[in-house]
Order: sequence, then structure tokens, then C-alpha cells
Amino acid sequence: MSSTQRLFSGRWSFPGVRNPAGRRAGLPFAAGFLALVTALFVLCVPFTATAGSTVPNAVPPEGTYAGKDVPQPIEFPHDIHAKINGINCMYCHTYARRSKVAGIPPTSKCMGCHSVIATDRPRIKQLTEYWEKREPPHWLKVHDMPDFVHFTHEKHLKRFVFDNPNLPVEQVSEVCAFCHGDVKNMTVAKKEKPLTMGFCRRCHEANNGPFDCWKCHK
Amino acid sequence: MSLENILTNWSKYRKGAEEGGFHDYEHMWGRVIDLNKCTGCSACVVACYAENNLAVVGKDRFADGHAMHWLRIERYWDEPDLGEGRVAEFQHHGASFLPMHCQQCNAATCEPVCPVAATYHTPDGLNAQVYNRCIGSRYCSNNCPYRLRYFNFFSYYESSWPAPLHMQLNPDLTVRDKGVMEKCTFCVQRIRAVKDKAKMQDRKVLDGEVQPACVQTCPTSAMTFGDILDMHSPGKGVENTQAAALWRKHQVELGKAKQVKQDPELRGYRVLEGLNTDPKVLFLERVREV
Repeated sequence: MSSTQRLFSGRWSFPGVRNPAGRRAGLPFAAGFLALVTALFVLCVPFTATAGSTVPNAVPPEGTYAGKDVPQPIEFPHDIHAKINGINCMYCHTYARRSKVAGIPPTSKCMGCHSVIATDRPRIKQLTEYWEKREPPHWLKVHDMPDFVHFTHEKHLKRFVFDNPNLPVEQVSEVCAFCHGDVKNMTVAKKEKPLTMGFCRRCHEANNGPFDCWKCHK
Repeated sequence: MSLENILTNWSKYRKGAEEGGFHDYEHMWGRVIDLNKCTGCSACVVACYAENNLAVVGKDRFADGHAMHWLRIERYWDEPDLGEGRVAEFQHHGASFLPMHCQQCNAATCEPVCPVAATYHTPDGLNAQVYNRCIGSRYCSNNCPYRLRYFNFFSYYESSWPAPLHMQLNPDLTVRDKGVMEKCTFCVQRIRAVKDKAKMQDRKVLDGEVQPACVQTCPTSAMTFGDILDMHSPGKGVENTQAAALWRKHQVELGKAKQVKQDPELRGYRVLEGLNTDPKVLFLERVREV
């Protein structure tokens, strides 16, 4: 990788991009200008791997829960569902194959089984409480992409699952695990993978994915 | 990547234009605006504000030239002088309208000047602006002969969409903050959605499937949007589009700085094409010398 390629590979600032919820995803204009000055400086001197790290906020936004435990309203055990009982990820995250987002299942989907299965467990009692109050649990979003990124689950699943007839159905969760980490062995899902532009790029390079900026940036 | 994209595409375009070719395009989105049908009603402007999360800057900042309208209706008067003793804000007749939005030039002057490659040419023939890469140097805006790039001098989020108005924002594109350049994208989020859908169904994009907000809204159907790559590379892109048919009918050719037309019934022209920017927006109005 040449130094200019490294410079433009996304390991630096995202100035002034704001999402509809009003959170600031980038840094103010002055810092953006600083990024320009640094970029020009970096172009003039031989590039070293540490030069970019002097820019404030030069790392991609990693989201609220990167690597942390997530305080979900109910401690949902992915391991029991996906590993012990072998339920396919897309049984609950059903929108993944049809839309941009994978989706959180509605409480009715949980109650489809849990009106009869394991009703005596404390977590299920908690769930039943929500169901009887007719209130959805307020699940927290763990894998939250920045708003300037366009990502569709639909197309990625088409490429790696549905256009791949040799893939046994038991291994579908490994496709999901590539970006979402080993959710099968977690209770509450954690964000383990960085989900940065470099992370996306490595896979796009390996699998001949599109390289046009506007394919993913919006 | 993007820098490489710019350097190769620019030289390829310049060489290609001499040889009558173009970039290695997948599509070439272009449009036709029939000025004889345009009534200047500004519905397209409103649609653009709604679709693209454009900030409403207020009267004072508008007067300072900070308006963020990606699509504006320019107004020209047949007789600028009202005559002696006549005072009126507007004339009663003789107005001509010109809807102006980014011309998506094939040889875009804004692209080679960007220091961080935030603006570049996509394989769709669009002149892209990547907001999270833009650092706000404003070189592109200064180099645009049409003045169709808009800079966020302020943060308009709180003033333009006080709660609960932020709920109306389009989630398919970002809300640009202070220090970022923006411009008409030909509603790339809609193009992207249509292309994704076509790919999921294993088919080609159809003519008329992509409709930018302004085209969809126009009450007199003055605008036609479509893939015009078919004109130059038959078999590539979307075939037999209405837009390409109009370009052919009015004998306007891409890659030329001057069009040679003998028939006075042919109306097509492009704005400032003499600058060799090769815009992809065709206006239908007989060019008149007054």
C-alpha cells in the first residue's frame, strides 16, 4: 500500500457529519482545517504509520458499546438460542434477508415460543411482564453504523448465503459472525469487531466488492 | 483509491473525449429539462428541500448568499427596463425560468481541485460529494462555473429542524454540519435503492425506474431523467431511455464544446458548454439572440 493510499484509507477525521438524532459524528470545522494542514504536511514528508494519530478525533467513531457489556432490558441469551438449540439467526432477525437492517424481533415472536417454553425462568417472566403490559422492551442498538455509511444486510446475505448453495445451513451463523463476532457464545450480544472502513475494505478487497466511495458513503 | 480514481478518470476522460469515448461507465445518468413546459412554480425546489434534508437558512442568511438550495429557479426578464415612471417589484409578463442544479459535468471542474478527493466521478457518471471526507476548503465551489455548490457556513441543525421537525429528516442521507460542501446528487439515494432492488431481482434497471424528487414532483413533467449512456455505448446501461431519445432528437452531443445544428426547430442546449465542462443536463429552449 502506497503512502497516498494509506492516507485515503479512512484512518482519519470525519468532519462535520451529523446524524438526524443530533449527535455530532465528527469534529468542528476548525479541527477539519487542522486535518487539512496535517494532510498536506503528511503529503510532504515520508509517511509513517503514527503520523495520522496526531490529528484529534482521527479514529473512526466506534459507537457507544464497543467491547463493553450492554445493559439490555432483558439479558437475552444468544448462546441458549443459537448454540444449544441451534436456531438460525434469521429466524428472529428476519429482516436481514429482505432489507437494509437485520431488525429486532417483535415481542410476539418471542411469545410464539415462550408462552409455552421455559415459562418459569426469571428472564421469561420478565418478558411475559412486558407482553402483558403491551410494552416492547427498549432494546439497545449494539452494532450502530455511523450515519454517513450505507450498509445493506440484504445484499451481503445474497452474496454470501443465498448465492452460495454449497453453504450448509448450520454454517450461516458463521457468515453473520464475520462482522458481528461470535454471538453464539455470548449471552447479550457485544460489539467485538471494529466495523471501521478498513474492516469493510479488507473484505471488499478479498471478495471483489465494490470500491466506489458512493456505494457506501451517503 | 479515490485519488487514483480522479487522476485516471480525468486523463481518461480527456483522452476519451478526443477519441469520442467516455469513462468506463456503468450508467450515465442525465436529464432533459423542457423550458417551454416549465412554469417556474418551484415545486421541484420544495421537493428537493424535503428529500435531501436541505437546511432552511432564513431571510438574512439567504441575502448573504448562504442559501442551501441544491435546485434553484433562476429568473430572467425579457425586458429588464420597466419604462419611465413605472415602479413595480415584478413585471407582469416576460419572465423566463431556468431550473439550475448540479450539471453533473463529465469533465467536472470541481473534481481535480479537491485536496482530499472528496469529490470525484462515480462509475454511474455522477459527480459525487463524500461529506465525511470533505474538509471544507471550498476550492470546488470556487471552481464551479455554475455556482451550484453550497457550503455550510453555519450549523443549521437546531435552527432549521427544531423538534419535532427533525423527525421529517430523510434517513437515507446525512444531515450536513458546519464546514461541509454539498450539492445536487441526482438523488443518489434513490438511484442506489433502485440499483439494489434490480440486483436483488437479477435484472437490469428499467427506464423511468429512477426518479429524483424534482422529476417526480414536476406538475408539468418538464423534466425527464434517465440513463444516457446508451447513446454512445449501445448495449451498456439502460437501453432506449426517454432521456437518451430526447438528446438524440435534439442532436445534442456529449463531449463537444459547440453543437452544430441547422434545423431551427431543434431546441436543445447546455449551459456554458463552451467551457468544455460537458454537462449532462440538456435544456430545451431555442437559443435566442436578443
